[in-house]
Amino acid sequence: MMFYLGLMWEYFKNYAKTRLTYRADFWIEVVSDLAFQAINLIVILIAFRHTPTLGGWTEAEVVFVFGYFMVPYGIFSCFFDLWNFSERYIVKGEMDRVLTRPAHNLFQILLENMYPPGLIGSFVGLVIMAVTARQMGMTFDWTDLVMLLVLTAGAVMVYFGLYTALTAIGFFTDAPTGILPLMFNLQSYGRYPVTIYNRTMRFVLTWLLPFAFVGVYPASYFLERSGAADLRMALLTPAVGLVFTAIGLVVWNIGVKRYRGAGS
Amino acid sequence: MQPAIEVHELRKTFKVQRNREGLAGALRDLFRREYVEVTAVKDISFTIPQGEICGYIGENGAGKSTTIKMLAGILVPTSGTVRVAGYVPWRERERFVRNIGVVFGQRSQLWWDIGVIESFRLLRKVYRVPMADYRRRLDELVERLQLGDLLNRPVRKLSLGQRMRCELVASLLHNPSILFLDEPTIGLDIVVKTEIREFLIRLNREHGTTILLTTHDLQDIEALCSRVIMLDDGRIIYDGGLDELKTRWSRGREIRLQFGEQVALERLERLTADLPGASWQAGRDMTAVLRVPADVNLSDALARVVGSGVDIRDIKFMETSTDEIVREIYKSGSASGAERLVGAT
Repeated sequence: MMFYLGLMWEYFKNYAKTRLTYRADFWIEVVSDLAFQAINLIVILIAFRHTPTLGGWTEAEVVFVFGYFMVPYGIFSCFFDLWNFSERYIVKGEMDRVLTRPAHNLFQILLENMYPPGLIGSFVGLVIMAVTARQMGMTFDWTDLVMLLVLTAGAVMVYFGLYTALTAIGFFTDAPTGILPLMFNLQSYGRYPVTIYNRTMRFVLTWLLPFAFVGVYPASYFLERSGAADLRMALLTPAVGLVFTAIGLVVWNIGVKRYRGAGS
Repeated sequence: MQPAIEVHELRKTFKVQRNREGLAGALRDLFRREYVEVTAVKDISFTIPQGEICGYIGENGAGKSTTIKMLAGILVPTSGTVRVAGYVPWRERERFVRNIGVVFGQRSQLWWDIGVIESFRLLRKVYRVPMADYRRRLDELVERLQLGDLLNRPVRKLSLGQRMRCELVASLLHNPSILFLDEPTIGLDIVVKTEIREFLIRLNREHGTTILLTTHDLQDIEALCSRVIMLDDGRIIYDGGLDELKTRWSRGREIRLQFGEQVALERLERLTADLPGASWQAGRDMTAVLRVPADVNLSDALARVVGSGVDIRDIKFMETSTDEIVREIYKSGSASGAERLVGAT
């Protein structure tokens, strides 16, 4: 564990050194990331110009959920930037190099593609949560802080497991699949209250592609409106995270065995 | 002492998707794909003892890279067994790879945008090399390969020769007992090639590093290898010493003669008629080539020509080069060539 933390730091330093040579790119990326999130927030704000509540949720509550959504998403986008995995590692065969080094291959790939500016989104999310929490007059104590850590860890694991499994598809087919962009669109549904969707959609977002567990479910732990059922779903987050992470790793490891290298 | 590399009945089969022709074919592919099985490596077996430098040669697509990738733990074999440095490479990959170094000539293992030394530092962490060992090792390698002033330059600003020397350092920082080199000299100029060869010989002599290299440059083989494994279409067609390969396949030696007058071929053939296997070939501008099989004494053959009173201006002795031998073997085709070689062993 210490070994991997140490490696993370080393890779971060190398990331920083590389990035400092391309400073303009760095700021453009950060700004465009935040602009993307800002637009999503503005959509919510505009929606509430027309209606006081959405499926029984007030504006402050929905924005709070949105803020929470940004926290695990930021961490996820910092450590999981594998959108070009298939092309870079499978087609060009860089997986060869990764497999000849003594650290877990998935971990190496995640570190090589680390994207620390993603974390800025998490901070913005925390600020949004704090602001809306004050509006609603919510009170926080230290158990809430611990729960925030636990639930965020669970949500990050949901992302990680799901996207690891989907990225591993690259090992089984060399043709590009449109699944990742599709997922990316689907995951944004997780930042709105699931009660506004129909039953099928709710089922999908809860059990099949559990994006409700990266946003609304864990966030509702903190909201005053939540009943026992909401709390149960919130507390399920770490369990769902563990299950999906396990699935993701199993699929990944099967994929690595099927890796066939690029001809050279 | 256990051998460095043990391979038994190793096989690797790839499933390759076959694309049907035309738009209709593409549509049919959408629903039902056809796969063709391609066997890249066909049940090969060999053993390499510790401290040996072994050349692994064959034409493109003969299965060299596939074999090396199985030995390095990158690919999982379809059947057969592999043991390298006492490990089953793909099964205990992370522990196993600390014992090997790998250089793929066509691909870089260094970070493109940062100084070479930063890549080395990161590799030190990945391989968990103690600081003192790392320093000693790096100093030694940098001195041997004369990298001193390159270390702070980013990889993208290095020439191919400089980069390749850095790749070698990167693969050796953790002091591996086995080194796999896939085309280490590809695209390099003769000076760098020689430097790298000398470096490898010294590495092998001083540290006892076992080296397995694939190459298309047979001078690499001549300079480095005591043993050659030749692959054709996934099968081993020769495994043995380089000298044996030469004697078995060599068409003997050649004497090139430059005459001062026009000499009829018949006259020359009459001169050496009593030497079994000797043959003549006329060249342009009053030259001729005499081929002498390995079992005929060279001076006997020469004495017959020189003593005949023919006006000879110049004499050159040639030995069939490894290049020619290998070309000959490739040309002769796999199956018959294999029988001839294996039968002779």
